Amino acid sequence: MNWAETIVQALKDDEVSLIAFVPDISIHQVTQLLEEDDYFHVVAATREEEAIGIASGAYATGRKAAVFMQSSGFGNCINAIASLCIPYRIPLPMFINLRGEVDEFNLAQVAMGRTTRPILDVLGIPHYTYESDDRLHRRISGALKLCYASRQPLALCMTPLLHGGKMA
Amino acid sequence: MHRLSATRMILDNAGDLPIVSNLGPTSDELWHLAPDRDRNFYGYGSMGLCSSMALGMALSTDEKVVSLDGDGSLLMNMGTLATIGREQPRNLIVIVWDNEMWGQTGAQPTHTAFGTSLEQVGRGCNISKTATVDDEESLATVFRQALSEDGPWLIVAKIEEEEYLPTAPVEPEMTLYNFRKTFVD
Repeated sequence: MNWAETIVQALKDDEVSLIAFVPDISIHQVTQLLEEDDYFHVVAATREEEAIGIASGAYATGRKAAVFMQSSGFGNCINAIASLCIPYRIPLPMFINLRGEVDEFNLAQVAMGRTTRPILDVLGIPHYTYESDDRLHRRISGALKLCYASRQPLALCMTPLLHGGKMA
Repeated sequence: MHRLSATRMILDNAGDLPIVSNLGPTSDELWHLAPDRDRNFYGYGSMGLCSSMALGMALSTDEKVVSLDGDGSLLMNMGTLATIGREQPRNLIVIVWDNEMWGQTGAQPTHTAFGTSLEQVGRGCNISKTATVDDEESLATVFRQALSEDGPWLIVAKIEEEEYLPTAPVEPEMTLYNFRKTFVD
């Protein structure tokens, strides 16, 4: 399995079946696989905070849900996480493509990309960074398990060293 | 039409269906009318996400889901109408209490006071079951229709503000816990 197939499998193994996302070219490989798989209901949101709301609603009715976005989109949804997921204790796995890492070519992506993890830290949100497919299934499924056990949002950050990045 | 009385009518007709309410007086009034109703999901923060949450619920249960949103909140996240129009959840009923103002921040007029029609926005987003009503009897009629016919529905209810009830003593964690346990074993 490649990295994208591994993420899909880990989500399935943990019965995470609703995905809300805003497209990103680097993680398109995963979201495309998710859309092709009948196990998942994949919802394209217009903005990342909307995706947080959709996924939180799914969890409230007993269905596990995850979101996919890039770091710029994380910037768009900080208050949704801070005022919904945190106070209600909604376990929400957030797959975030970190921009502003090696190979970045777009100046406008650097600041938000490089502040994503420090912001997660001050919000008290656990996060893991994936830079290779070494023991990837183990590391993703372990993060999902922690997320649901702690009933807190949790971020799974992906870099170009994992997915190959976006070519300018 | 007043929101408190109209909310009582919604509760009288909704039976056990899940209801998710916008932050502020919409949630306060829902709590005061039915504090022990586990299927109330009271919004507390996250302004704008009431109907987004209801959409996520509607995609995860076969039951009808009722969203009690507000004009100022929905204006903050109008994209969610486009997502509802794209997903076409048959079991989603969005009611927007439209008082044409940001009531909690000093009663400043919102865009609906200057010509924005949220019903027309919804229709433009491919939501075909829509209505705008300004009295409780009309709201009751269209709400009963929405309960029996497939949606998604978008019902804009024009309201006038009255004196606020005290803030509901809601614990977000307990809201989620009580609501969710009615769906899971």
